[in-house]
Amino acid sequence: MSGTIRSVSVVWLLLLCLVLCRTLTGTGAAPICANAQAGCYAVSLANLFDRVVQHSARMHGISNDLHSEFEQYFLPSKNQVGRVGRNCHTSTILTPNGKENAQRMAREELTEVILKLLVAWRDPLWHFHRSMAHHHDFTNFSSDKALEMSDMVHELRKGVERVAEKMQTLGLMSDPVNSQVSPEALPPPDSGEWRRMKDYDLLYCFRRDSNKVKNYLKILKCRIVPEHGC
Amino acid sequence: MAVSSPSSNILLLLLISSLDWLSTPGLAFVSDRDHTNPSAPLEPHFTECISREQETFRCWWSPGTFHNLSTPGALRVFYFKKESPTSEWRECPQYIHSNRECFFDKNHTSIWIPYCMQLRSQNTTFFNDDDCFTVENIVRPDPPVSLNWTLLNISPSGLSYDVMVNWEPPPSADVRTGWMRIMYEIQYRERNTTKWEALEMQPQSQQTIFGLHIGKGYEVHIRCRMQAFTKFGEFSSSIFIHVTEIPSRETTFPLAVVLVFGIVGILILIMLIIVSQQHRLMMILLPPVPAPKIKGIDPELLKKGKLDELNLFLSGGGMGGLSTYAPDFYQDEPWVEFIELDTEDADSGEKEDNQGSDTQRLLALSQPVSHHMNIGCSNAISFPDDDSGRASCYDPDLLDQETLMLMATLLPGQPEGGEASLDVEEGASASERSKRALIQTQTAGPQTWVNTDFYAQVSNVMPSGGVVLSPGQQLRIQESTSATEEEKQKNIKESEDRGDEKKQKELQFQLLLVDPEGSGYATESHARQIGTPPSSPMPGEGYQTILPRQRRPNPQWIDNQSPYIAPDSPQFQFSAPVSDYTVVQEVDTEHSLLLNPPPHQSTPPCLPQHPFKALPAMPVGYITPDLLGHLSP
Repeated sequence: MSGTIRSVSVVWLLLLCLVLCRTLTGTGAAPICANAQAGCYAVSLANLFDRVVQHSARMHGISNDLHSEFEQYFLPSKNQVGRVGRNCHTSTILTPNGKENAQRMAREELTEVILKLLVAWRDPLWHFHRSMAHHHDFTNFSSDKALEMSDMVHELRKGVERVAEKMQTLGLMSDPVNSQVSPEALPPPDSGEWRRMKDYDLLYCFRRDSNKVKNYLKILKCRIVPEHGC
Repeated sequence: MAVSSPSSNILLLLLISSLDWLSTPGLAFVSDRDHTNPSAPLEPHFTECISREQETFRCWWSPGTFHNLSTPGALRVFYFKKESPTSEWRECPQYIHSNRECFFDKNHTSIWIPYCMQLRSQNTTFFNDDDCFTVENIVRPDPPVSLNWTLLNISPSGLSYDVMVNWEPPPSADVRTGWMRIMYEIQYRERNTTKWEALEMQPQSQQTIFGLHIGKGYEVHIRCRMQAFTKFGEFSSSIFIHVTEIPSRETTFPLAVVLVFGIVGILILIMLIIVSQQHRLMMILLPPVPAPKIKGIDPELLKKGKLDELNLFLSGGGMGGLSTYAPDFYQDEPWVEFIELDTEDADSGEKEDNQGSDTQRLLALSQPVSHHMNIGCSNAISFPDDDSGRASCYDPDLLDQETLMLMATLLPGQPEGGEASLDVEEGASASERSKRALIQTQTAGPQTWVNTDFYAQVSNVMPSGGVVLSPGQQLRIQESTSATEEEKQKNIKESEDRGDEKKQKELQFQLLLVDPEGSGYATESHARQIGTPPSSPMPGEGYQTILPRQRRPNPQWIDNQSPYIAPDSPQFQFSAPVSDYTVVQEVDTEHSLLLNPPPHQSTPPCLPQHPFKALPAMPVGYITPDLLGHLSP
C-alpha cells in the first residue's frame, strides 16, 4: 500500500519535474546572464542576490552536517579548537572578522574576498570527495554531501561572479573583480589517520569559511538591495 | 544573560552538558571534568561563554572549591586570540566582578577566530583545552519579544480552534542587516501539564497552532537559535491562550425549530385553502365540458337508455313536440351543439333559401349541401354549427338507399304520396324509423321543398345502364353526359310543352334516359301528362321508365297504370300519382320492372300530425293476377 503510494507519488513528481523542466529549459534555454544580451535571460539583481544567499546558506548547512557527522564518528576526545597547529589554508586571506568590519568594507573588496574564498576551496573539496569515495569508512550520505558541497562551491562562485557583473553594469561597483586567485597547494596526504584528521580539519575550516561567505553575502545583499527580506 | 549565583551556575553547567555532550568546539568547558572527577577538588574554571548577537560575548568563571580565590581580583582572566602567529595572551578587557564575568565588547570580539580562555591566580594558571571556541559557535540569541496570539477560526463542530501566534525577533539580534539568520521554535502545552509540544522550526516571525481545544487553557513560549547552529537561546516568557465555548449553538437550535414549525404551518394552511375552495379550484382547473344538446330536446333524453322516449319526443308523441319549441329553446346559447331538425313552423327562417334546387346543389358537388341534408348538417342555416360532428353533410351513415328514398319522397314536401312511403319503412328498424322521422320533421315548408329534387327514387335500372327514376322529381344524373344534354333538352321541352304547368315546374319529374344511343327517350313529363299518349316508347308513366325505344309499352299496362297517375291532382304537388316507392312486382323479359301502382292513401297511421309532410306514397296494392296476365307480353 505505502509502496504503491510512493511509486505513484514518484511518478507524479517525475511528471511534474518533466513539465517544469521543460518550461524552465524552454524559458531558460538561454543561460542566465547579468545583462540582457542576445541569447541571455536577464534576472534582476535582487533575484540574483536571493539565489546566491540561499545557495550559500545551504552550502553552510551541508558543511555543518558533515562536520558534526565527523565529530560523531571520528571525534578526537579533546576539543580541537585550541590546537594551535591547526591552520586552515585560507588563513592567509584577509577577511573581516566582525559585523562592523564587514559593513565598513567596500563592496568591491567584500566581493573580492568572497570570490577568493570560493576559489580557494574548489580543489580541496574535490580531493576530499575523492578521498571519501575511495575509503568506504563513511556512509553514502557523507560522500553524497561531500560531492554536493564541491558542486555548490563551484556554482556559488559562478553566481557571485554574475552578481558582480550585474553590479558593475548597474554602476554599483567600480573596480573589476579579480577572480584569478590561485588556490593554495594542499599538504600531501600521509597516512589514513592523518588524512582523516586532515579531513576533519578540512571540514572544520570549510565550515568556518562557508559561514563567512554566507554572512558576507547577506551583508552585501542587505546593503545593496535592502528591501528584500533583510 | 548573566548567571547570578553558583547554584545557577551549576544548573547551567548541567544544562549545557546535557545539551552539548558532543562537545562542539568552543563550549566543552567543564562537562567532562565534572563527570570524570566528582571527588577531586574543583579548580577554578569557566562556566560558560555566551554571545547574544554575534558581536560581543561574555564569559563566567567559578573558583571551584578554591574558596580562597573567590575574592574579586584573586583570579584573572586571560584570553588568547589566534589572529596572527605572534598573538599572545591578553587580559580580560572588562571585568564584572559581581558576576564573575568577563565581557568582551565589539572591539575585542572577532568572529571566525578561535579564542582560548585562561584563569590565572597569583602563581598558578588554570587552563583547559576545552575552553577554546569561535564566537559564532557560542551564539545564543535572545528570546523573541512581543509574543501574542489571535484566533483564526473555530471548527464547525465547535470543539477546536486554530490560533495564529506572532512575535518580534529579539532586538539585540541584527536580522535586518542579515548578520544573523534566526530560526524560531514554538512550544505549547496545556495548563497544569508537564510535556511541551514543539512545533517545527522556521524562520518566519509568525506561526499557526492548529487543533487547540475549546475550554482548555494553553501556555505558549518561544525560543530561537541561529541557522545551521545548535545552541538555542532562552525561552521567552509564556503567554496563555484560552477560548471558552461559544454559545452560538444554542441560538441556532431554536432557529431551526422555528423554521421547521413555520414550514409545517404554511403547508397546513395551503391544504386548508385547497380543501375549502375545492369546488372553485375544480372549476378553474377543470372547466366543464359542454354537453351536446339538441335544440328543443331536453338533454336528459339524450342520455343512455332513453332512446324510446327520445323517439317519442322527436316524433311528436311527447308533450308539445319539438316543432313548437325547437327554434327558441337554445337560442341564447351559442355553444350548445344543435342538431337541426326542421319543423313545420320553421318561421324563424332557419331554413335555407330556395336557390336553385337541392338536387343541383347536391349533384353540383361544389356547393355545400343544404339544410335538408341530414342530421347535423346545418352549415347554411342560421345556426352555424361548426361542430356538428359530421365531416360533411354527406354523411354516409344516412345517405344510404333508404335515406335517399326518404329524401326523395320528402323533397316535394307533400303529404300525398310521401307518407305512404313510411309504411314501407315501418318494417325497417326502429332506428331507421327514427331517422326518417327526424328527416320528416325537418322537412317542413313545402314551398322550399318544392324544388328539391336531388333525391330521386331509382325505380329501375336498365340493362343498358340507364336508371329509371320515379316520376315527380327532377333529377339530374351526371353519370352520363348525354343524359345531361338530354335533360336540358327535356327541360326545354317541358317548359315549352307545359307552359300552363308552371306551378308544377318544380315538380316535374324528369325521366332519365340513360340510353347511350340517345335515340329514344321519354320524359317524365311526357309520360306524366295526362292524356298524352306516350309517343315515346315508354311503358309506364310515372314511373320510371326508361326503356329503349324498341320497347313497346304494353298499352294495357299503360292503361292500367294510368289511373295511378294523377299528375294534376292539386293536392299533390307531386303531380304524380306515381309514388316514389313501389313494389317491384316483376321483371319481364325485357328487363322492365313491373311495379305496383301507388296507393291513394297517403299518410301512414303512425304519423298523424304531419299531414302535409311529404311522405312518399307507397303502393299498397299489388298487381292483381289478372292484371298481370294483361301485362305479360
